[in-house]
Amino acid sequence: MPALRVNPNRMELLKLRRRRQVAERGHKLLKDKLDELMKEFLARIGESRKLRSEVERELLAAYGVFALARAEAGRASLAAALASGTPAELLEMSVRNVMSVRIPEFELGKLPEPGGYSLVTTPMMLDAALDALAAVAPRLIELAGREKAIELLAAEIERTRRRVNALEHVLIPQLNDTIRDIGMKLDEAERSNLTRLMKVKEMIEAQQAQ
Amino acid sequence: MDKLKVAVVGDATSVAGFRPLGFAVFAVETPSEAREVWPELTGGEYGVVLLTEKVHEEISEMVAEHSDEIIPAVTVIPGAGSKGGVGQARLDAAIERALGTKAFIREEDD
Repeated sequence: MPALRVNPNRMELLKLRRRRQVAERGHKLLKDKLDELMKEFLARIGESRKLRSEVERELLAAYGVFALARAEAGRASLAAALASGTPAELLEMSVRNVMSVRIPEFELGKLPEPGGYSLVTTPMMLDAALDALAAVAPRLIELAGREKAIELLAAEIERTRRRVNALEHVLIPQLNDTIRDIGMKLDEAERSNLTRLMKVKEMIEAQQAQ
Repeated sequence: MDKLKVAVVGDATSVAGFRPLGFAVFAVETPSEAREVWPELTGGEYGVVLLTEKVHEEISEMVAEHSDEIIPAVTVIPGAGSKGGVGQARLDAAIERALGTKAFIREEDD
């Protein structure tokens, strides 16, 4: 690790020592943050995984019922029946702060009652299919929220780990090296000063003896 | 408390049933159509965006660009006729990003 290029004097030494102290404190803080983020992250993963496989299974089952309805009613009349309904603002979002990561939390409002299609021309299966889908919807939204949280946490963990590593493996060793270098240079100067003094003293004593 | 909508993007067969539930449905058949609707979805109007696996495959890069923003929360759902697993893979990718390794979690699960 190349040391920083600074003047080897006492002033710089003190400055660098202060910087090292700050860096070490920052490193410790970030490391604690990383540990906590990791804990949060790992706690979320298992549950999310389970939820996803359940939701996928239910969703595929709902598709199956839709396929039956489609087979019974015909593609065109089913499409016509499902054309009703307008996008509504179904979600309530609040933002939660987890270790300085802003995570959205969604709450699904009441789903509109499916309707607007003729009960005479559409098969009963369609009602069942819509019911099935409506039943998955809240968990689908929950899954979306959880996955987003995991994604955001993952990004933050990556960023934090980079910072920790940069401090641990680059900045702090660099500061240590530089501080040691300056220390050695100052010691060296001190020693050469001492020998000079001794030499001068010797010369003065020799002069006085004559 | 913000009021947001839910969007579903996918082929017509998969997304058909969501419209009566009040979800905003975007039926797309081609990759370019999928790309066209994406900017609208990220505009802040939609809190949750559900993509079928096929659509996600087409626009995964555009999705990744927005992965650090709070909304929309993008989630992959299996489409009609696809077998699932892409969403799980996405989760694994996030895990890998965070931990720098994949094997770690698998061991815990078993």
